[in-house]
Amino acid sequence: MKMAWKEMKKNKARFLILGSIVFLISFLTFIISGLANGLSQDNAALIKDLPDGQFYLNEDADQNYTFSRIDKVIQTDILKNHQDAVAFSIQMGFLHDESEKQQSVSFVTATDSEWFPKVKKGEIILDRSLEDEGITIGDHLTNPQFSGHLTVKGFVDQKKFSHAPVAFINKEDFQEMYRVYEMQLVFLPEAESSQEFTSLESFSNSEFLNTIPSYKAEQMSLNMIVWFLVVISGLLFAIFFYMMNVQKLGLYGILKAIGMKTSSLFNMMWTQMVVITTIALTLATALSQIFNVLAPNGMPFHLTLDTTIFLSVVFLLIGFIGATVSGIQIKKVQPLQAIQQGEM
Amino acid sequence: MSIFTLKQVRKTFTQGEASEEILKGISLSLKEGEVTALVGASGSGKSTLLTIAAGLQPASNGQIQFDGKNLSVMNAEQVRKIRAKEFGFVFQFAHLVPFLTVEEQLMLMLDVSESTLTKQAQKRKVTEMLEFVEMSHRKKAYPASLSGGEKQRVAIARALIHQPKVLFADEPTASLDSKKSKDVMKLIRDLTKDLNLTTLMVTHDEEMLAYVDQIVKMSDGTLVV
Repeated sequence: MKMAWKEMKKNKARFLILGSIVFLISFLTFIISGLANGLSQDNAALIKDLPDGQFYLNEDADQNYTFSRIDKVIQTDILKNHQDAVAFSIQMGFLHDESEKQQSVSFVTATDSEWFPKVKKGEIILDRSLEDEGITIGDHLTNPQFSGHLTVKGFVDQKKFSHAPVAFINKEDFQEMYRVYEMQLVFLPEAESSQEFTSLESFSNSEFLNTIPSYKAEQMSLNMIVWFLVVISGLLFAIFFYMMNVQKLGLYGILKAIGMKTSSLFNMMWTQMVVITTIALTLATALSQIFNVLAPNGMPFHLTLDTTIFLSVVFLLIGFIGATVSGIQIKKVQPLQAIQQGEM
Repeated sequence: MSIFTLKQVRKTFTQGEASEEILKGISLSLKEGEVTALVGASGSGKSTLLTIAAGLQPASNGQIQFDGKNLSVMNAEQVRKIRAKEFGFVFQFAHLVPFLTVEEQLMLMLDVSESTLTKQAQKRKVTEMLEFVEMSHRKKAYPASLSGGEKQRVAIARALIHQPKVLFADEPTASLDSKKSKDVMKLIRDLTKDLNLTTLMVTHDEEMLAYVDQIVKMSDGTLVV
């Protein structure tokens, strides 16, 4: 431990380079992870903010909520027997503000529940991002498929669906716009997958998210980049420690000759790896959290401390594996070779 | 008194189908308080004999008896423990750890030998040893700033700080000029007497034989009487 620290103090530049690379890669990974989560929030915050439970779609909907129509009798039966249950529908559409500027939104209507805001006929509640577009409370908004106008009653935070701000409207207004009289989905908070209803197919929260068009593909691509970076960092660790170990084989051989245990040499390498990685990851975590706060409003960026800590633990593990694999040479080195090699 | 004995030690190197016998049944006794020098032409097998005696490579046959124990039947971990606690090594090059100061080199050796002394006692011992090899004025220096002779003095101090019973020295003066070589040899001889060590040394330099008690000449893997 002391030896590991002394080597790092004496060879600052070498370890600073390794630490900088770990920092840059982990910071990049955190930022991309933040973007992946941000896009995920942008795509489905409406669903992600709901508690764990089960979503129900019509069996004939081919696992696509846009094709789903819940039979009114079944819906009434579920809502009657489950107080927390909510039936809701989602449709993409447009709103025109008072200056005739068009805004793309996801219209959502739902039965009374604590999960969705209550909206009276002729009223609309919008995601706060539309406030930045100049819409204010009391504005009258129109839609080409709607005869009257919708009065803005308020704004809610972080309600997005399919990269569009959500617009909560009354069931009757929704039916007039889309000529659909059944709800598309039923959500049962805290329900277990074993709770089944005739002619309905159930989905957990994550399963339902994956039925949203583009969500799965988008997340897969970003997550692939994140994990690719994690693997690259593991390889970098292995390569760096391999190079450092090759340079130090003579030293390791001499230390073995005078009786040092191989495990002490491994401990020295592991200590260096853990110290460098921990410092680099702490810096990357701090900076990425600052970026999380300072990121521009329009940028879909969402990075929780939990995600950062999870990725940091993965980095530490992969660094440990990389360093250990490269350390096999330490085990192989023969004292005799080192003595015969000449001065280190 | 002899605490180190080699009996009929043989070493054969095999490469593919070809094999070559480097040591052909060497028997030798080393006495406490004496410096024994192994001399002979290049390829005579003296370095191989020294490294086998020091437990750095196994013999193909024969016995290496140290302090009543047979090294040739011990496993690698048992031999390592003996190397760490009972043996000291001085090589042709000092082979100091480049990122440790002179006093840290010695503290490291005390760690390796699992010294039971307190930190305070260890530090005192390091100071005494550095005074003994006349290096106390450079105790905070790193190896890169030491001369060849100074490095070898530190290497000797490192080899002896844990009070080993046997000192192995493989051409300890080969990288030094004549004056420094004599200084180092005088130091090895004095320490061997003062600490009652058993010292086995390989050398090419006939001038250095003036400082040894026993000369063992080797030729073609055998001892020349």
